[in-house]
Amino acid sequence: MRLPRFNGQVSPLLPVALAPMALVAVFILVIVWVSFQSGTLGTVHSSYTLENYHDVLGDSAIYGVIWNTLWFAFSTVFFALIIGLPIAWLTERTTIPGKAAIYVIMTLGLLIPGIFVAMGWTFIAHPRIGFINRWLVDLFALDNGPVNIATPMGMGFVQGMNLAPLAFILTTQMFRAMNPMLEEAARTAGMSATATLRRVTLPLAGPAILAAVIYIFIVGIATFDIPAVIGLGNRVYLFSTYLFTLTFPEDMEPRYGITGAVGVLMIVVALVLTAWYGRVLQRGNRYQVITGKGYRPKMLDLGGWNWAAWGMIAVYALISKLVPIALVGFIAFAPYVAPPSLEMWEQLSLNNFYNVNWELVWRGMKHTLILMFVVPLAVMVCAFAISWLVVRTRSRGRYALEFGAFLPHTVPELLFAIGALLVALFVLKDYVPLYGTVWLIALVYLVTRLPFATRALNGALLQIHKELEEAAYVSGLTMLRASRRVLLPLLRPTLMSVWIWTALLVYREVTVAVFLATESNITLTAVVWSYWAAAGMTEASVVTTLMILFFSPLLLLFWIFGRRSALAED
Amino acid sequence: MISIRKLEKIFDSARGPVRAVDVIDLEVAEGEFMVLLGPSGCGKTTTLRCVAGLERPDGGSIEIDGELVDSAGGGTYVPPERRDIGMVFQSYAVWPHLNVFQNVVLPLTEGQRRIPRSEVRDRAREALRLVRLDGLEERPVTDLSGGQQQRVALARAVVTRPKVLLMDEPLSNLDARLRDQMRDELRRIAESVNVTSLYVTHDQAEALSLGDRVCVMNEGEILQLATPKEVYSEPPNLFVARFVGEMNFLPAKVLDAGHVESGLGAIECAVPPGCAPGSAVTLGIRPEHIGMTAGESAAGPRGQVLRQTYLGDALHCQVQVGEVELTVKAVGDAEYDRGATVTVSLPEKGWHVFPEGQ
Ligand SMILES: Nc1ncnc2c1ncn2[C@@H]1O[C@H](COP(=O)(O)OP(=O)(O)OP(=O)(O)O)[C@@H](O)[C@H]1O
Ligand SMILES: [Mg+2]
Repeated sequence: MRLPRFNGQVSPLLPVALAPMALVAVFILVIVWVSFQSGTLGTVHSSYTLENYHDVLGDSAIYGVIWNTLWFAFSTVFFALIIGLPIAWLTERTTIPGKAAIYVIMTLGLLIPGIFVAMGWTFIAHPRIGFINRWLVDLFALDNGPVNIATPMGMGFVQGMNLAPLAFILTTQMFRAMNPMLEEAARTAGMSATATLRRVTLPLAGPAILAAVIYIFIVGIATFDIPAVIGLGNRVYLFSTYLFTLTFPEDMEPRYGITGAVGVLMIVVALVLTAWYGRVLQRGNRYQVITGKGYRPKMLDLGGWNWAAWGMIAVYALISKLVPIALVGFIAFAPYVAPPSLEMWEQLSLNNFYNVNWELVWRGMKHTLILMFVVPLAVMVCAFAISWLVVRTRSRGRYALEFGAFLPHTVPELLFAIGALLVALFVLKDYVPLYGTVWLIALVYLVTRLPFATRALNGALLQIHKELEEAAYVSGLTMLRASRRVLLPLLRPTLMSVWIWTALLVYREVTVAVFLATESNITLTAVVWSYWAAAGMTEASVVTTLMILFFSPLLLLFWIFGRRSALAED
Repeated sequence: MISIRKLEKIFDSARGPVRAVDVIDLEVAEGEFMVLLGPSGCGKTTTLRCVAGLERPDGGSIEIDGELVDSAGGGTYVPPERRDIGMVFQSYAVWPHLNVFQNVVLPLTEGQRRIPRSEVRDRAREALRLVRLDGLEERPVTDLSGGQQQRVALARAVVTRPKVLLMDEPLSNLDARLRDQMRDELRRIAESVNVTSLYVTHDQAEALSLGDRVCVMNEGEILQLATPKEVYSEPPNLFVARFVGEMNFLPAKVLDAGHVESGLGAIECAVPPGCAPGSAVTLGIRPEHIGMTAGESAAGPRGQVLRQTYLGDALHCQVQVGEVELTVKAVGDAEYDRGATVTVSLPEKGWHVFPEGQ
């Protein structure tokens, strides 16, 4: 294979582009390696074995977990699409007023962490402490709460609400690219409305919807935060939370071999789904080449139904975000977890704030801030190197780069977190003391945030004519100067939005932080989690409330600088 | 000033390797204006980009001003920024985030050929004056018209006073009138800064009017390298004859060294030495070399006017002579009716004879 070359020399960007690829490979391979090990890992007392797989598959618990996970993932997909798809259709194909506002609501929806919402839903519909259940029990003198959010389907409902914005964004692109003229052509060719739907609309929309389904499904099977917050306390395990209990058991030594084996199962599922997803995307793109471009679709006039449509969107926003988060805010000031009532209202105080370990919060804040500065910078540098090589060179190696940068898009971050943990514990332990540092978390974030940044930069670089760079070279500018004076200024809008978007996602990230956090590298979200896991619901609520307060100015920044390109890409 | 020796460039494509430049030799003298002319995809741009150093050749070598800048075998490679060149791109490639002045100044302040700060302003103004853009310094380039952007690109290319100026179809995005105007400007500018120019175009009129010499290319090879006059009057083969200017073609058979037999009967013309009697050849004659008079008074073959196209300064007539249809260019204000009988004259010196298989 020829290496990507520029003017005959191996590009100096190549090592920068390959570094994150190496991380991806190492994180995955170490899981595979550990899954075949028994004994004390990384010492002479370990040996190769199939025992771990035997144990995992021989334990009936795993089948319950698989069952739960499937239930959860399918519910997630169902709820996400049933909400996201109609809203996408409304914004792209009807005259509904306030489309910009819909985009704001959906983008914010994408940014508000599932863990916060999950806490809110625990307060609402937990079988024992959930307010709805308390009210119903009081009202009808029941023995048990009738509503239970702590089931795979209940949690799938919460995650579906949470991922509806993702479904929205994935399908708006489809509605935008699908040319209604094709449908009209079918009608004028004498096909009935149902025949048109069956023979034209669905086959055209199919790949895009299927791609959205697969992608949300992949995200679903690896979701950690919501099942952890709602399910762990009730002993309802999914793949992710099962892995968590295996990796951090409460009452015995962890058996990482078992973690590895379950991880490998998940890797296999993720890779199979990724391959399928890739195929479906390709098919979808083929249709887009035929359609798209230079037309204005006729918008359906909703008339009086505008109100109903907005009503639906408002209800969604309320249920999915506002009410749960308002409840978390309420509990932050409440003496104990109880439904809002007049009598509770009088007991609200700042007492919880005194119970919080501020030193811990400070530490979390410091680490989160470090990550928010370091990770976007590293992501940007690596993504730039990858994109430049992919877009501007002709080597076949660029396909490998493109694939490597795409992989973390569909391989769950949970796996990278476990891989990083294992690498730090058993591979690097004696050489590089990464375990327990923020840098370990940073490496995983770098890998997981790379696909978005690379795709955004690919798009932007394609827009910048290659001759603009070449004009700089023949004007006597070295490659470095040409990048600084010509390329980077032209890329600035994209770089800005990628930067802010990445920083926001780093701020809200839970899964990786929880798997890799120790006393010495805890982040803000991990602080929330550690309170919650230790049954400190009021303290967790306090920290969450603070996090949301800090979040607002960041969102404003994002709003000013980068929403357009970020929305277009993700 | 520029010597290209045995230059070869092969691209890998999905359908296998493409020989974009198939071993060419080219010498451009100091101060000369050399035009590369050829149909789309014949390798003009590739040749130019090899000279600029934007593309690495797979074979051969390139020298600029006596210095070896690229040799495929020997491993010498001088990157574009260290070659003494200026280049105008087909897309202009003016930097959209900078204004006119900044575009022209950047090579002077950031490039390898930078000059003392104190001289930058004067030098940039001089370049802008040369392309008649003085007064527009502070304009964002994105606000300029196509022709003005074109001039910015030109000013930027000459501001460092390079020894060699490379231009890739710089006029192709302009409308016809502006193109004529800019063509004269280009020539004037190239002369006034006394630069050696290598100019790529697929427009034969542009090539003939601009070039000191024209290099006609096809499929990566050089077919003719000569002055515009020679290219027009002595095309060495059918391809050049077809590509440059207009020509009537008819199949014929050689009779002897001074005669061929064709659809117009026996014709007197100079047969090239290699053609044995009896061999097949193609005859060519340019429309303006055919004489035409109305009626049957004059001596010569008779024909019927089929169609005519009025071009303002001339008239193009399709004339049926025997089995042959000829295009005749008549200057002046002669007019012919459709179907009218005319007499054509085919002077011996107007004929070109191309051996078969070329
Ligand atoms: N980057 C590339 N990759 C693959 N093939 C290429 C590349 N650049 C050029 N070619 C091929 O090389 C041949 C010559 O291309 P070149 O751009 O030099 O043509 P050209 O004479 O400039 O044509 P035009 O007048 O259309 O600009 C063409 O067949 C083209 O398809
Ligand atoms: Mg070209």
